[in-house]
Amino acid sequence: MNKGAMAPDQEQDTPLKSDSMFINLGPQHPSTHGVLRVGLTIDGEMITKAVPDVGYLHRGTSKLAEVRGYHHCVVLTDRWDYVSAMPNNLVFCLAAERLMGLNVPPRGDVLRVLMCELNRIASHLLFFGTYGIDIGAFTPFLYAFREREMILDLFEMVSGARLTYNYIRLGGVMVDVTDEWVAKCREFIEYFKPRLDEYDTLLTYNPIFMARTEKVGLIPPQTAVNWGLSGPNLRGSGVNYDVRKADPYCGYEQYDFEIPLGKTGSCWDRYFCRVSEMRQSVRIVLQALDKLAPGPVMAPGVAKVPKPQPGEAYAHVEGARGDLGIFLVSDGQASPYRMHVKAPSFMNLAILQELLVGNKVSDVIAILGSTDIVLGEVDR
Amino acid sequence: MTQDELYSKLAAELPHLEKAQTQVKDYLTMRLPSADRLLETVRALKERLGFDYLEMVSATDWLGPVKPEGYIRNPNPIVFMAEGATPQSIPTATPNFPYRPMIELVWMLANIPEKIRLVLKLEVPREDAAVPSLCGLFKAADWQEREIYDLMGVAFTGHPNLTKILTPEFLQGHPLRKDYVHVKDRFDE
Repeated sequence: MNKGAMAPDQEQDTPLKSDSMFINLGPQHPSTHGVLRVGLTIDGEMITKAVPDVGYLHRGTSKLAEVRGYHHCVVLTDRWDYVSAMPNNLVFCLAAERLMGLNVPPRGDVLRVLMCELNRIASHLLFFGTYGIDIGAFTPFLYAFREREMILDLFEMVSGARLTYNYIRLGGVMVDVTDEWVAKCREFIEYFKPRLDEYDTLLTYNPIFMARTEKVGLIPPQTAVNWGLSGPNLRGSGVNYDVRKADPYCGYEQYDFEIPLGKTGSCWDRYFCRVSEMRQSVRIVLQALDKLAPGPVMAPGVAKVPKPQPGEAYAHVEGARGDLGIFLVSDGQASPYRMHVKAPSFMNLAILQELLVGNKVSDVIAILGSTDIVLGEVDR
Repeated sequence: MTQDELYSKLAAELPHLEKAQTQVKDYLTMRLPSADRLLETVRALKERLGFDYLEMVSATDWLGPVKPEGYIRNPNPIVFMAEGATPQSIPTATPNFPYRPMIELVWMLANIPEKIRLVLKLEVPREDAAVPSLCGLFKAADWQEREIYDLMGVAFTGHPNLTKILTPEFLQGHPLRKDYVHVKDRFDE
């Protein structure tokens, strides 16, 4: 995809020095986690220029939303970040509910928190597994997917889908959970807790893994803030910013949990933030299960074809990848007049053009993997 | 800092900002009088008031309801509807709504330690829409401004690399503009 003056293709046309070379990473490469292409100019082993090229997966969801009803739009949201779709559903519903002035019943809120945290664990497990593969450790992948499959089973029980749930709806959630589901969820958490220590011995404190990631891809805190990073990428640099604490939604202020922070902003710190976040999510899931009091899960009287009053609303949540926001504009019609998605992966990927420069080719995959991007969300 | 405190602080430090008519729900929304004052305002917000995190750059085209010609296929939620039938979900104009040939840019800035957010709005005419780029102040503006340029057709003057980012190079026009018409390309049947 040649996109004008700075497109990576044209690098080849410029007179190259005899010792520098242009290589394409992707778009079909297992370590790019989707269809991402990075145009790398290398001088020996050193990277002198990196140009990420995105857009291969652009499906124009903002444009599609403008002719669909609000209930239909929830289906579109599943397709952004397909490995953690629950927060996507949630953020659209929060923005639309703000426009319509809907209030979600308490049990609905608890179920939303429960599903989002389970999805965060599933997403971080996928990162844990694939990052191991990126670095050259194949075994953790098998363990991570064993546990991830159990969470997907839980989601399948409640929503009928493994990845694209459409479970969180305007005004609450699609359907209540059964007692059997709650028992199975508790069973999973009991099974999962000791596995986290297993992961630490398997990968986190593995000397080879640490040597590959500990002093690589350093992002100082000011740089991270300036590039607008969010999620574990920002917290890995030691910046304490989590939407669940900074701008609470769905009653997150009632839960007791900590925000894991990194120290140096290295690849290992970002990795460690995610692994520690899984422990915190387990705590939140247990608290949410205790909070489940009987009651309705859906607000009464949600219109079949909602037509909110003209207005603008912004909602954001802490997704698995960071601060996911939706800016929604209504002109009083049955479809959103404008929907803008502020995708965390999009912001986290942009920093690669600065971060990769000066690193060795063998570290590119370590750095790219540590940002944990999902291309469906980058391109939307 | 609460929103009221922020508002009184803004009134003292940056008196040219006025409260926007349409507030983004739950966040303080201010309107800029003109594009010339954007850079100095944002620099003052960043350096004097600690808004050092650019959360979002967005834009709204206020021309009117979207056109069905902007879509590759008729957007039709009913799969079994007869071919050629009018799609039911094309929005119509809301009576008395102030549609206008303007593009409204929206920036959201955050002050992380104070846990406060501020929305800035600026209207520019649709024809040759251009505003100064914030790339010099925030690296986060780089790709977000390219996205708005690509999809909405707003030129950000001073941007170091203002090229398309999401749509392919053969796509003509800016898809999120309300009068966008899809031109058939080699991937359409």
